[in-house]
Order: sequence, then C-alpha cells, then structure tokens
Amino acid sequence: MISELKNRLPKRSRFLISILAIAGPGLIAANAGNDAGGIATYASAGAQFGDRTLFFMLLVTVALVIVQEMCARIGAYSGEGLGSLIREHFSIRQSSFALTLFTIANIGLVVSEFAGIAAALSLFHVSRFISIPIAAVVVWSLVVFGSYKRAEQLFLVLSLAFITYPIAAVLSHPNLGQVSSNLVIPHFVFSKDFLLLGVALIGTTITPYMQFYLAGAITDKGVGPAEYPKERRGTIIGSILANLVSIFIIVATAAAITKRAPLTSATDAAQALKPVAGKFAAQLFGIGLLGASALAAAIVPLSTAYAVSEAIGSERSVSKTFREAPIFISLFTFQIIVGATVALIPGNLIKTLINTQVLNGIITPIILIYILKLANSKNVLGDAANGLVFKTIATICIAAIGALSLIVTINTVSGWLGLSI
Amino acid sequence: MVHKFHLPSKRKKEPRLKELRGSLISLAGVIGRKVINQEGQELGTVSDLVCHWDNNDTYPPLTGIILRLSRRKVWLSISSIEKITPTKVLLNSAKFDLREFKPRSGEVRLSKDVLDHQLIDVDGARVVRASDLYIASINDQVRLVGVDIGFKPLLRRLGPNSLRVRAIPDSVIDWATIQSFGGDNENNNHQLKLSSSRQELRRMRPGEIADLLEDLGRNERQELLNSLTPALAADALEEMEPKELEGLLRESSVAEGANYLSNMEPDEAADALRDLDDDLRRNLLKKIPKNIARQIKKVLDYEEETAGGIMTTALLIAKGSDNVKSVKQMLISGNDDAASLSAVVIVNKDGKLLYDLPLSNLVTADDNVKLKQLMKPPSTVTVDPEASLKEVAELLIESRATSIVVADSSEKPLGRILADDLLDVLLPKERFHFPRLLSS
Repeated sequence: MISELKNRLPKRSRFLISILAIAGPGLIAANAGNDAGGIATYASAGAQFGDRTLFFMLLVTVALVIVQEMCARIGAYSGEGLGSLIREHFSIRQSSFALTLFTIANIGLVVSEFAGIAAALSLFHVSRFISIPIAAVVVWSLVVFGSYKRAEQLFLVLSLAFITYPIAAVLSHPNLGQVSSNLVIPHFVFSKDFLLLGVALIGTTITPYMQFYLAGAITDKGVGPAEYPKERRGTIIGSILANLVSIFIIVATAAAITKRAPLTSATDAAQALKPVAGKFAAQLFGIGLLGASALAAAIVPLSTAYAVSEAIGSERSVSKTFREAPIFISLFTFQIIVGATVALIPGNLIKTLINTQVLNGIITPIILIYILKLANSKNVLGDAANGLVFKTIATICIAAIGALSLIVTINTVSGWLGLSI
Repeated sequence: MVHKFHLPSKRKKEPRLKELRGSLISLAGVIGRKVINQEGQELGTVSDLVCHWDNNDTYPPLTGIILRLSRRKVWLSISSIEKITPTKVLLNSAKFDLREFKPRSGEVRLSKDVLDHQLIDVDGARVVRASDLYIASINDQVRLVGVDIGFKPLLRRLGPNSLRVRAIPDSVIDWATIQSFGGDNENNNHQLKLSSSRQELRRMRPGEIADLLEDLGRNERQELLNSLTPALAADALEEMEPKELEGLLRESSVAEGANYLSNMEPDEAADALRDLDDDLRRNLLKKIPKNIARQIKKVLDYEEETAGGIMTTALLIAKGSDNVKSVKQMLISGNDDAASLSAVVIVNKDGKLLYDLPLSNLVTADDNVKLKQLMKPPSTVTVDPEASLKEVAELLIESRATSIVVADSSEKPLGRILADDLLDVLLPKERFHFPRLLSS
C-alpha cells in the first residue's frame, strides 16, 4: 500500500515516506523524546556554532547509550522504579537529596514545556498571557479527569512535524565535508558560551527525567532478565536514533541561519524547516513545537509525581480522587502551577528554554552518580551488576559530565557574586 | 476503590500495641547509637538490628545486633545484650567473641531489609513503606512490634541526630497485621519466600489482592503470589488490570505463568494472553495442560469484542436420556469452577444443543427424572460466536437468563457467557490509573 501511495505523490514526499518506512517506529519514539527544550537547544547550537558542536554530540551520544543501558538494566533486573530503589538503597538523607534535585530539574522542564507552548503559539500570533494559562488548565484537566490518553495521540501526531528535520537537513545541501569533519574531529570553541551550551546539550539529551522514565517503563512492561537482551538492543538503537534526529536539527539550523549568534526567537528557529515547508516553515515548526511541548508538559510532572510518591510510599498506582491520592495530585498540580507561572514572567522564551536545560545539565551528573551506584551494586542487580570495564567507562563518562557542570556552576555563581573567572 | 470489608482481626490485636506505646523504641533512633560494655567502655555503634522471621511468631524476636567497629561489622547475639534504650545499647559483659555478621536463614536485618521497603498492611489492604520500625519488650523478650508509615518519622530521620532521641510514633500499624517480605536477594539468590505468611492474607478478597499485586515491586509481587493457593492467586490475577497482568506474565517464568493461567477461567486466561508477544504466548500455551490449553485456544480464535472472545469454554454437557441424579453426580465430582456452571447444556447424540437447563430447575427435580422431561418451552436462545457484545447483551435481557450459550452455525455448543463476564467488559474498570508513561 505504501508503494502505491508513493507513486501518486510528488518526488519530495516520496522520499519522506521511504525514510518513514525504514526508520518508522524507532524514529517516532526517538522524536517523542525531543521536547521543547531539546528542539530549542539543538537549534540554538546550530545557529550559534554551526556544525562545531557535532563532535560534542557524538560524545554525548556515547554517554547517553551508557546511561540509558544502565537504567534499562536496572529496570529489567530489579523490577522497580528508580524512586523506590533510591529510597531502599540509600540513606533517607541521600534519597531526599536526589529526589529534591530531580523535582527541581523537572520543574525546570515543566517551565520549558510551557515556554515551548507559548513560543509555538506565538508563531500563530497568540499572546503567552492567553496561551499559557489555557494550556495549563487543559493539560491539568486532561490528566486529572482521565482523558489524557486520547489527547496524547494527538500531541504525538503534531510532534511528528519534527520528523521533517532530517529531510530539511538533506535539502539544505549542507557542506558534507564540513559536517563530517566536525562530526569526527573536535572543533571546540573555548568560550563561556560554548561551555554553557555544552552543558545545556548534555542536560537536554541525558535528562534525569528520561532515566526515571525508562526504568519505570521497563518495569511496567514486566521486562525481565529473559527479555532484557532484546530490550537492550531497542534502548541502544533508540538512544542513537534520538541523537541522530538532534544532529539533523543542528545541521539543518546551521545551514539555514548563517549569522552565528544565539537563537532568540521561534521564528528564527523555524527557518531551518524552509527547505521542506517553504513559506509555511513557521507554521510547521509551530505545530511540531506545540505537540512536543504539550506531550512533555503532562509527562514530566507525572513522572516527578510517580517517583516521589513511590519513594514516600504513598500508593503508586493511585486512584482518582484527591482524597485517595493527595500527595500525587498535589505534586502534579504544584508543578503545573509553578511551571506555567514562571513561563509567564516576561522575558525571552527561547532563552528560558535553554536555561532550563542548563539547570538539567547541572543536576544530571548528581543523579547519574546514584544510577551508577545502583548499577554497580550486586545487591540490586546480582550478576547483572556493572563489571569492572563497564564500571570504569561509566565512571569516566559521569566524571567528565560532572566536571563540565561544575565549571559552569562555579562560573555562574561567581558571576552572581561579581567575580569573573 | 473503597474496601468495605474489614477483617475481624483488627479490633482484637490493636490494644496490644497501645499497651506498649510508652516503651516503644524507634529503630531509626537507635541506629548509630553507642554500644557500651559492662565496664562502661564504648565498643562501637549500632549498625543494624536483626530479627528472626518465623511463622509462629506474631512479633518477630530480636536475635542480635550488628555492631559497627570502625570499618568492620560484627555480630552480637541477643544473649550478650543487657538492655536496649532509645539512646544506647548496654552489654552484659566486657569481653566478646567478635565475628563478622553472616545472615542465617530466617534472619532479617531491620534497617537494611525492612526499613524503607514495601510491606502489606493486611487490615487496610494496601501496600505501605516503612518509615520507622518500633521494638519493645514483651515478656522479657525484645520483639518487633510495629511499623510507622507516617511522614513525620521521615522528617525526623532527615534532621540532626539529636532530634531522634525521642521518637514520637505517628501512624503506627501493629506488626500483627503486617505482611512482610524475605528481604533482598543478595548474591543473586532469587529464592523467594514470604517471611511469615499471615492467615488474614488468605481471607482477603481477590480484588484486594489484585490491587496489592499492582502496587508491589517485582520481587515482593512474586513472593506474595507464591504464598497464595493457586486458586486464590488465579482469582486475584483475574481481577488485575489487563496491562498489569500482561507485565506480570512477562516477568514470571514460563512455568509459573502457565501455572497461573491454567488455574484461571479459560476466557480470562485468553484475555491475558491476547496481547502478549507471539513467542511468549506460544511458550505459555505449550506449558499449560493440553485440555485447558485447548479451551483457551478456542476463545483466542475469536476477536476480543465478540461473544466468542469473552465466553468461558467450561461447559457442563449432558444428554436428554441422562437422569437428574447422574448430572448431580457430575456436578459434585467435577472440579470445574462452580461459578461458571449456571446451567446444564443438554445435547443430542450428534452433540447438537437441545436445551439449556438452569441449575435451579435441576436441583428441584426428582433424582429419577430424565433430563428431556425437564425441557420446557420457550426453547433455548443461543448466540453466534461472532456476535457483538451489544447483541449478546440484548439477547440476555430478552431471555431473562443469567447466562447464554454460545453455539456455532450447526448448533454445537462452544461456550457460555455469564452476565458478569459481560458486565466486566461493558463497564469501565472502577480503578482509575493515571497515565503513567507514553503509550505504555
């Protein structure tokens, strides 16, 4: 049927369908992981530094694969979510520290999702003072009144607009020699901006929320040691595909925007889709951004609420009414309110989007230490615990991410104190 | 879900804990405290308390403590302990044989294995997480008597150590109504055993157990399932959310999964199998006893939302020439699930359906009467296996019966749909789940 359909379509769309047929399901899943912050950060990387961040993205991909594999393994072999495992295997102080940081990182993400919704609708000339409150009420009601599942399908379809990025990247005729040399050979820029963006790229790619999500999803599916090899393949391919999409976003934006400066508006970011959508690039970008943001605006606060409720020990698969699940609903509502309110504060939406990713990037290595400790523990994973080689590689990886975050943190804090380093 | 049934045990056991309230010692408070020998010298600090899990003990006795000596962890038996107070542990001699702690069978470390882990509050029919544990002396023996599931103990543990001196119990549950688990599987020891299985657990309703199974972690879930009788486990599984049940079947071994499924009603088993991967479904069906697997496959052949997809294939079939007595014998000796037998299907010698005889008509008849003498108009209505659920519902209402026979085009009976099977699929589940994850 696909081939039949293909022949009736213009050449450009035929190419799209071939790509979809090959990469299909994996790509869709990978694409769903690209939320508002992700799109903004990758696009900004392309705009500001051209293809220079590509080698860095390659390193981030390696780190992502290592981290996601550990999370999947923890989920499959322990059968428990990270929230509950942290509570059981760390002291109460360490647990509350981890979960507080996780909550802060996620609230940052919720802010970015609402900022994403506002940025998307600004392309359709809707003021954020209208779009954000409405979005907050809609997302909250969809989840609390139980009709979220259906809405989720819609958001997913909308976010598919971003699958056009790889095509846009190809059609923009990037300098292939330059792209591949940037991909293989480091072209780091030794500046504060590059460092900050690097941490934002880490934060948006290796998000604490994705780690909790993955372990939880695998546990929920009932994937055990027997099915793990298959699941592991899926996880690794998924991680690589997700970053492939990110790399295409960077390349497409780098080709479309030639003035090397930080991205400041969604209209600019949308230029990258011009080769595919022509004068409707802004609309296509807006639709994708709306879908991706709305999707994550519900899932991120839900994942916080699950992890925290799980760790506190209030019922996990909670029931509907406030009385039966007070902690869960309060946590969820709190995040939506804070996220929407902060996103309403006047300021540049794209900057907000990227700053929340920096926050995630700073918190990520701390959460990763917990994950590494769990994955190293024979007590948790038995024979599936990290071996010496894996342990060494993972430790180096996390230490490198930690060092980067630390530099950015020190830099930022000293900036506040009026010192310059 | 509101649980209306309360177990009778509740009132009986509560006063016990109340009596002890004044003398409760908090586990979280005593961890890290000094251990002092008879001469007043400090040996080290408390690393953990060890209890013995036993079926006969409502309140597990303390068998000793784990002492932290600089970097070593050594074992001190209860016999060498003079007294445990909220702030210190006093020993009854000055010299000890200090050996590394090695867990013996049945022994559980309270701080490592129980505190912060999941437990079942049998009375409340819910899964809880221990935020503190309380020990007390009962008849000169120190025992684990209660668990705190409140939020305040957590805050207390977060704060500085000095705050933990006086533990104020928050929401304490009597240990007598707690079902605990066997602890971590150290050294990849997956031998699971429910520490001491409470009688009350077996008196819970299948729906309540299903809720518990959904809320527990994987190891705990498997432990709980293993402690139930196969019949009760099967009943509870039938009550689980389809997605949760699929997950459970995936995480169980094929042998266990097949065992659960063969104890379930064929229609429920088919429902659970429907959405599994082809490989797993095939492997499970292979391990299920042939006669049961055949029944399940029959249901699996039909679409989910049709009469065939929800029917149970357990039928009681008799001939018109059989007498009432012989059918009653069949009923008594048959080990089929009685709930699904609301009527007897009477067939002719070719196996074609003649009449569906309600059990109420059967039990009131004389033993010597032949079944065909009980066949009275109106004639039996049957439904096609491909019929929609709406049609089934309409036919059931029309015939004013509690069940309806599913028969193929040649009138051979295939199965039966009970009114409650239909209600199960037509009414949305009472329990609402927040969407957990993306399309999972």
